[in-house]
Amino acid sequence: MKRFLRSIALFFPFAAAIYVLLVVLTGNFEAGLHRKNLSYRKGSIGYLYTRLQEIDRAKNTDILFLGSSHCYRGFDTRIFTRHGLRTLNLGSSAQSVIQTEVLLKRYLEKIHPATIVWEVGPASLMSDGVESSLDVISNDPNDLNSVMMAVKQNHITVYNTLIYSVYLDVFHKNASFTEAKRKADDVYIEGGFVEKDPQPYQIINRSTSEVRLNDKQFAAFENCVSLIKRSGSKLLMVQAPIARSLYASYLHHDAFDDKISAYGAYRNFNNILALHDSTDFYDSDHLNASGVAAFNTALMSMLSVAQ
Amino acid sequence: MLFNSIHFALFLPIVFLLYWFATEGKARRQNVLLLVSSYFFYACWDPRFLLLLIFSTVLDYVTGIKMFEAENRNRKRFWFWLSVCVNVGFLGIFKYYNFFSASFADALSLLGMKVNFGTLQVILPVGISFYTFHGLSYVIDIYKGRITPEKNFVDYSVFVSFFPLLVAGPIERATHLLPQILKERKFDYSQAVDGARQILWGLFKKIVIADNCAEYANMIFSNSGSASGSTLLAGALFFTFQIYCDFSGYSDIALGTARLFGIDLLRNFAYPYFSRDIAEFWRRWHISLSTWFRDYLYIPLGGSKGGTLTTVRNTFIIFLVSGFWHGANWTFIAWGGLNALFIMPSVLLKTNRVNLNSAARGKMFPTVKEFAAILRTFCLTVFAWIVFRAESIDHAVKYCAGIFSMSLFTVPRFEKIDNAVVIMFLVLAFFVVEWIGREQHYAIARVGIRWPRPVRWMFYSLLIFIMGMFMQTTETPFIYFQF
Repeated sequence: MKRFLRSIALFFPFAAAIYVLLVVLTGNFEAGLHRKNLSYRKGSIGYLYTRLQEIDRAKNTDILFLGSSHCYRGFDTRIFTRHGLRTLNLGSSAQSVIQTEVLLKRYLEKIHPATIVWEVGPASLMSDGVESSLDVISNDPNDLNSVMMAVKQNHITVYNTLIYSVYLDVFHKNASFTEAKRKADDVYIEGGFVEKDPQPYQIINRSTSEVRLNDKQFAAFENCVSLIKRSGSKLLMVQAPIARSLYASYLHHDAFDDKISAYGAYRNFNNILALHDSTDFYDSDHLNASGVAAFNTALMSMLSVAQ
Repeated sequence: MLFNSIHFALFLPIVFLLYWFATEGKARRQNVLLLVSSYFFYACWDPRFLLLLIFSTVLDYVTGIKMFEAENRNRKRFWFWLSVCVNVGFLGIFKYYNFFSASFADALSLLGMKVNFGTLQVILPVGISFYTFHGLSYVIDIYKGRITPEKNFVDYSVFVSFFPLLVAGPIERATHLLPQILKERKFDYSQAVDGARQILWGLFKKIVIADNCAEYANMIFSNSGSASGSTLLAGALFFTFQIYCDFSGYSDIALGTARLFGIDLLRNFAYPYFSRDIAEFWRRWHISLSTWFRDYLYIPLGGSKGGTLTTVRNTFIIFLVSGFWHGANWTFIAWGGLNALFIMPSVLLKTNRVNLNSAARGKMFPTVKEFAAILRTFCLTVFAWIVFRAESIDHAVKYCAGIFSMSLFTVPRFEKIDNAVVIMFLVLAFFVVEWIGREQHYAIARVGIRWPRPVRWMFYSLLIFIMGMFMQTTETPFIYFQF
């Protein structure tokens, strides 16, 4: 029996070491074919890498924006700059609350914003957060928070990608990486906003769904709120406008709004702005230039009233 | 609690350590621990059905003793039929009620009578087909005087509920398993290492081959109306590999787990896709069920001893019943019937016991004749699996018709075909390993046995790595849990 237990105790570290080695080797193959459960996304569509490079210049910023693509495609930093506000948009692709918590733990103290505008929609609290985890792991140097995030996610692709990403971090394999400012019809704007070239509205039909909050996400939400409150920054949670067709696909908005507003100042801009799907959006999720202008103007007036 | 879940990965080591360290090698304590663990394992699916399992166990335990102690034949028969009727009755209600009521209503509607028996909104208790057959074999064996009843309730309950076999077999026999449960188990290093290796191979089959093939099989079968012949053929092949690796993978994990506890379970698979005829296939596929039907249905019906017509009748009966055992759907019955037809030439020509050894025994490659026979049997099997997998008979007919069209000679087209090529490569590699290991209990039983330990461990680590890279990220239950 002792011999068996000793063998098992030796085998597992051995297998773990071989596993790590093979993940690293596989990660170095470019062909996606071999990488079903390894998804390293340095410089992916959300420009998180470039955005994180701006953090060093964003100390004591007026407004820090957090959230998913609704955030980085919805808050145009240029509009706020024109009104004399220093802003940083730290939104990222499909950012769920678990990733928001990681970013806050890493950068809140450093940025020390006067106000945090946090885009909290049903999607960010319903999702499993895997896509955004891969984004954060690939584009931001990893620390213990990444490991905790991976454990929370408990997803094989997240684990594999973390292993590979840590290897790249440790050996500085991506030190010379630069991300293009333009990708297809997206342009990165200083401060973190991503501008989409004008294009006609595309309808994406969705079936209706109950808003079922993910327990892990909601626990992270509560952690984020207390982190922000402890930091002394003002917090405004918003639900960014989405196309009416998409908004209607989520049921029981009132219950969601009530639940979130119990944790602090919260505005659902779908109830505040009268936007039109075909003229103010380029797809069901994202505002076009005129929609962004209307949204940001309304937000600024709300913030100035509050001040 | 699935074998391929993190919960089982925690459950198994805990039970293993308690079993070998906290019981002091005493059979009584070992059995109490196994029973408690097995009931916990089963309750993780749905605690309500644990009561059903306990009821079924108590019923067979009591009727077994009552039959043995019966003063006359009538009383013995009474207890026997009580057990059979209640066991089969539960199976009928939970598994077949909706099927029979709907089929009966359909039949009456053909006569112009409209009736509605209503449907029962019941969940099929996991493993009911398996533990019911388990208990039935025990009761029948006592009735036939082959065994004496087990007096110790805990020991008998472990025989029925031993967690590795509880939900999807192998369907054990009292003559094989009970003696092992009654004696003290001593830890055997070789047996435990072999068990762990078999678990690893079972997980590989399930996680890498079965679950990845399932992705494509499901995609193609659910969109079969618009698919080309070659795509439909690819879908049928994916399902062929899926069902084999899913069920034999499960069986490997079950057998390996049992070996960790010093218990050898009946073998359930013996490389069926290397069979040279359908009769051989059925000696190698789901062996514990095939032999159950042979011993408790085919032979009591007269087997092959009553002339050609009786043999043909009995063969059809066991294949149709075997098909129906899989589920309440005409597709399963048709699948059984199709296999009966496939096996019929060898039954009539009395060549059904020609291929008793493994193909190309002692050689690396088969002869051309053997290869042709393996290929022919494989094609028949693939064809039968289409009927098994289809949603309905109509779906199966259309699916088969779709294959045999001119579009069979086009390039298959479906989503993520690039990844499918990688999966096919893995399937091919898997079959090479299976072929090399076909004379062993399971394919990797002897792989690297003479290699230095680090090299052998690298091989096992490679299997774990491939699992990590190709595993599905959603829960993937075993197919046979639904039966």
